[in-house]
Amino acid sequence: MKTKYLYLIMAGLLTLTSCMDDWDKPNTDDYSVTSRTAIGEPTTTIDSLKREYSSTFKQNNSFVKIEEDIILEGVILANDKGGNLYQTLVLGQVMNDTTIGTFIDPCTCIQLAIKNTCLYPYFKIGQMVRVNLNGLYIGCYSKMPKIGQPYFTSSGNLRLGPMLMELCKTNIQLIGKPADYKDMVRPLLLTASDEFFTKASSYQNYSNVPAFVTIEGGVFADADDKAILAPYELHDAGYGVDRVLKVGNTEMTVRTSTQNDVSFLVMPKKPVRLTGILSYYDGWQLQLRSVDDMEVME
Amino acid sequence: MNKSLSLVALLLGMSCPSWAQNAAVDSLNADDSSDFSFSESQLDDDNDASQAVSSLLSSASDPFLSEVGYRFSPMRFKVRAYDNMYEQTYLNGLMMNDLELGRFSYGLIGGMNDATRNQEGAAGFEHNNFSLAGIGGATNINVRASQFAAGNKITLSGTNRNYVLRGMYTYATGLMENGWAFAGTIGYRWAKEGVIEGTFYNSFSYLLSAEKKFNDQHSLSLVTFGSPTERAQQGASTEEAYWLANSHYYNPYWGYQDGKKRNSRVVRDYSPTAILTWDWTPDQYKKLTTSVGAKYSMYSTTALGWNGDAYDPRPDYYKNLPSSVFDVYDLDKNNPEYLKDNPYLVDQWNDLYDFWKESKANRQVNWDRMYYVNSVQNLAGDETLYYQERRHNDQFTLNLNSTWNHTLDQFNKYTLGVQLNHTVGMHYKTMQDLLGGEFYYDYDKFSANDYGHGSAEHPTEAANDLRDPYKRIYQGDKFGYDYDILVNKAKLWGQWNYNRGKWNLMGAAYGEGTTIERDGKMQNGRAPENSYGKSGAAKFMGGGAKAIIAFRPFANHRIKVGLSWDSQAPLARNAFVAPRMQNNFVNNLTLEDIFSGELSWSFRFGNLSGKVTGYYTKFMNQVEQTAFYNDQESRFTYLTMTGIDKVHYGFEGALVYQVNSALSFNILASIGDAKYVNNPNAQVNYEGMNAATNAQLNKWENPVTGQAESLRVIAKDVKVGSTPLTALSLGANYNINNWYLELDVNYYNRVYVGYSAYRRLSNIINNYTGTSVDGMVSFNVDESQLKQDGGILFDPDGNVMKTYTPKLEKYDGGFMVDASIGRYIRLNGGKAISINLQFQNMLNNRNLRTGGFEQNRDDLYSTGVARAYKFSMNSKYYYANAFNAFLNVNYRF
Repeated sequence: MKTKYLYLIMAGLLTLTSCMDDWDKPNTDDYSVTSRTAIGEPTTTIDSLKREYSSTFKQNNSFVKIEEDIILEGVILANDKGGNLYQTLVLGQVMNDTTIGTFIDPCTCIQLAIKNTCLYPYFKIGQMVRVNLNGLYIGCYSKMPKIGQPYFTSSGNLRLGPMLMELCKTNIQLIGKPADYKDMVRPLLLTASDEFFTKASSYQNYSNVPAFVTIEGGVFADADDKAILAPYELHDAGYGVDRVLKVGNTEMTVRTSTQNDVSFLVMPKKPVRLTGILSYYDGWQLQLRSVDDMEVME
Repeated sequence: MNKSLSLVALLLGMSCPSWAQNAAVDSLNADDSSDFSFSESQLDDDNDASQAVSSLLSSASDPFLSEVGYRFSPMRFKVRAYDNMYEQTYLNGLMMNDLELGRFSYGLIGGMNDATRNQEGAAGFEHNNFSLAGIGGATNINVRASQFAAGNKITLSGTNRNYVLRGMYTYATGLMENGWAFAGTIGYRWAKEGVIEGTFYNSFSYLLSAEKKFNDQHSLSLVTFGSPTERAQQGASTEEAYWLANSHYYNPYWGYQDGKKRNSRVVRDYSPTAILTWDWTPDQYKKLTTSVGAKYSMYSTTALGWNGDAYDPRPDYYKNLPSSVFDVYDLDKNNPEYLKDNPYLVDQWNDLYDFWKESKANRQVNWDRMYYVNSVQNLAGDETLYYQERRHNDQFTLNLNSTWNHTLDQFNKYTLGVQLNHTVGMHYKTMQDLLGGEFYYDYDKFSANDYGHGSAEHPTEAANDLRDPYKRIYQGDKFGYDYDILVNKAKLWGQWNYNRGKWNLMGAAYGEGTTIERDGKMQNGRAPENSYGKSGAAKFMGGGAKAIIAFRPFANHRIKVGLSWDSQAPLARNAFVAPRMQNNFVNNLTLEDIFSGELSWSFRFGNLSGKVTGYYTKFMNQVEQTAFYNDQESRFTYLTMTGIDKVHYGFEGALVYQVNSALSFNILASIGDAKYVNNPNAQVNYEGMNAATNAQLNKWENPVTGQAESLRVIAKDVKVGSTPLTALSLGANYNINNWYLELDVNYYNRVYVGYSAYRRLSNIINNYTGTSVDGMVSFNVDESQLKQDGGILFDPDGNVMKTYTPKLEKYDGGFMVDASIGRYIRLNGGKAISINLQFQNMLNNRNLRTGGFEQNRDDLYSTGVARAYKFSMNSKYYYANAFNAFLNVNYRF
């Protein structure tokens, strides 16, 4: 009789001990790391901002805090999906031309740096974003126009770095869907004969960079069909490797961060078609966005 | 009998029904890709605080050991600061410590308190009839059915600890006239949310015991038990995170999902065990006890995993904390003038501070964010970036103990024993939850950062299993690693006891053989030649001896001296350089030696009785391994130390003053030291790297000669952490008319943080070269700085003159007051009710740290520039529970 009770009690207890760690997939359709309410209408453009703060943008590594509601819009032309751009988005300005129509100017751009190692799920290519600069800083990292916040680098230098991810909730709003502009994300095609190379010095200024470009016909100086773009052992203080790309008579740099998929791309002997973000330091410098940004030309 | 056997069969085949559908695929296990470290005693952390202490609860002959186990349990006190592996636990004479970790898991008998009260304990230098006790002593739990008190017992408990409610029912027949005895217990412990936020507890337990006494000489006992448990864990965090959360009980492991609290670390633990025991008593002077047992342990724990590029999802990840903005410990920076000149630092600090304080959800795991990211990956046809993995540490054990006791005459008796153990540890991980993602590629994402995945130069390095590289992983699939550790052990031992007049002498010796082997189930791309298949067995022949001399100079006084020497195989868990990926054994793997001695005086002066003991133990040639996710290198890292020497010494004592038959006062004291006394050899292995790269990372160059030096951990003078080296207690007991009152005032001090061996590597710690002037060598560094940050001093010829280990944090001491009140009510018909109410930490001291560990990261970038965040100032801590109560009511009928 008592054994029967034991059976019954055990059966009861076994029923009680159901799994407590069982979860259904939550609905995240409306999830966003950015503001869910309107942050205001645009008050400026990338182009206007650069002109208004030209004195800041003309200096290396200078920055200034914005302490009023300055709101700009831009479409994301590049993000960190390929791992080569670190904590970085590149925003391009939407233009309206009476003959061409609406397009994104690949040469009227600015970097938006955000402190997070994986931005691309939240900030997809083609997504228009609206940024309220109030409380943020604008200036240059080296000679690259940028929006962010100051920080100390691993070399101990004070630079304009990424803004806190937490500030996206108050300072950034997504406008529409990525599909709205994705087809307009087109790079500027450059070849050796283009004035960007033949008259480089006149183009190397804050107003033209960053630029979203495709460079055709370049040849890697160190190419042997074996060497990769960025072996870890060659990295500099910024954990990047510079490779010389010859475009006609012009030598420029392809800069690649180590330890990502792009860094393992083999440099082909044949001419290449490279797409990426153009900036300058001593000369032109290109950063590929992803492994798809290198094509071997036949 | 038939009914009971069917019940046994039912329970042997039973597991938590809710997991049955997963068990065949997932089962269970543990370790981490975050900041997990094997040496951080996950087993201890997983257990109830009351169980993470000495098992010597029933060493009735020792007034110290019989009390400290429970009384000091809130502070996770370890007797003499010994690791729990030195305490042996037996069930019906069968050794239950597992051969991989060395420890007995109290989870094995969790929730069976009423069935496991029949214990015999023996200190390390104390004779017993069931074992040759190690330096930490031994406990034998007798679960033979005939030893249970006949009748029924129901126990109901309520508390505000890990669980909230407990119920147990025990029934025993006692030894019946037909020679049979049956006993059984079932129990259940539950908490929707335990005392720590975000934790739950769900545990069923059972034990069934049957015994047949054939005649006065032979009896056979069969017992089976298990405790299927599912429970969520608490994580340690930094003082800054506790401050921001305004609680020392902040738990970073959970977060909201659909408005409910979901914990990222959930343990499933079930170890069905069966023991068959034959007792043969040829006559009143001889007895042979033989037990064979089998255990299949399924232990697993979940943890968050993330792809190499994904942002670290831990809410208290250092980059999320305000102090990551600037060095708040540097007064040159943390002052009004500096911050006025650099206002952006204050702005960012405030932004992060506000974010943490704004809502509770902001400082917990963000499940929605992970699900969202994975949904984006799905749309692009890419693999999941965040997932929850289940780390399994299953184990099958088959063991035998046989012990022969023979009393030769009134003065002499001896015991002989044999112990055999075959253990297979099964270690692998499975995909628990893709968090909305569709699949995951099985290759080492951190290795891919170093070698690429499928790159021309290193086409295979990143693969976790070359036999099926880069395969897609779905829920329930094995991935990452899969290997078995096989351990076999055979031990023969004997002890002789002579007791005559004022003298008691005991001598004991043993010899043992141990084999350790790894059997890889995956062919790892970083170790293609030595990961799949068997490693070959490492063999160790050990042994030891013990001698005890006790002398009674006068009545009520006893002086005892004990000495022992042990040479034992290293633990299997420490034997492999990187067990998750390859078969290689650790370099310099040898027997571990232990010398131990103690001198004690037991006495009684009228109403005052007590015992004081002085002890000294030296551990030599020990091996320890820590495994952790190395933020600094972005790699899962193993750091193994060999040739470790440690000493533990001090004294412990107990005094009892019996005022009258109702009232007594007692004092307990344990004051000792436990520390490393050398700088052991070190071997570092990054899981994501191949042999050539690892060899580079193990380099340490002499700063003068440029010659390669053997890598070391500068551990000399490091204290053993996470246990009070000073523990004192003053207690009072008052018993009258079946009322029981107890009040204890306890003081704890000298608890040290668990040290990071990584931060003390000789190629990470500062190396200084002296200059010689007039024969005196001087260094360009202050001794105070050396004592704070550590350093290695080389003379101008390149010889190491002295080493300093970085300062190890000592926690603040403090008091804890505990009390209990109980009433025993005898009812008619032999029935009784017992009620007990315990209060722990009545002063509600929320600032007593019980343990913690330094972070495995240093304060400098590879450029030598100081980071803003100071890892050296941000260890992670556990705190003793705040005021809590435990009500226990049992009814015996």
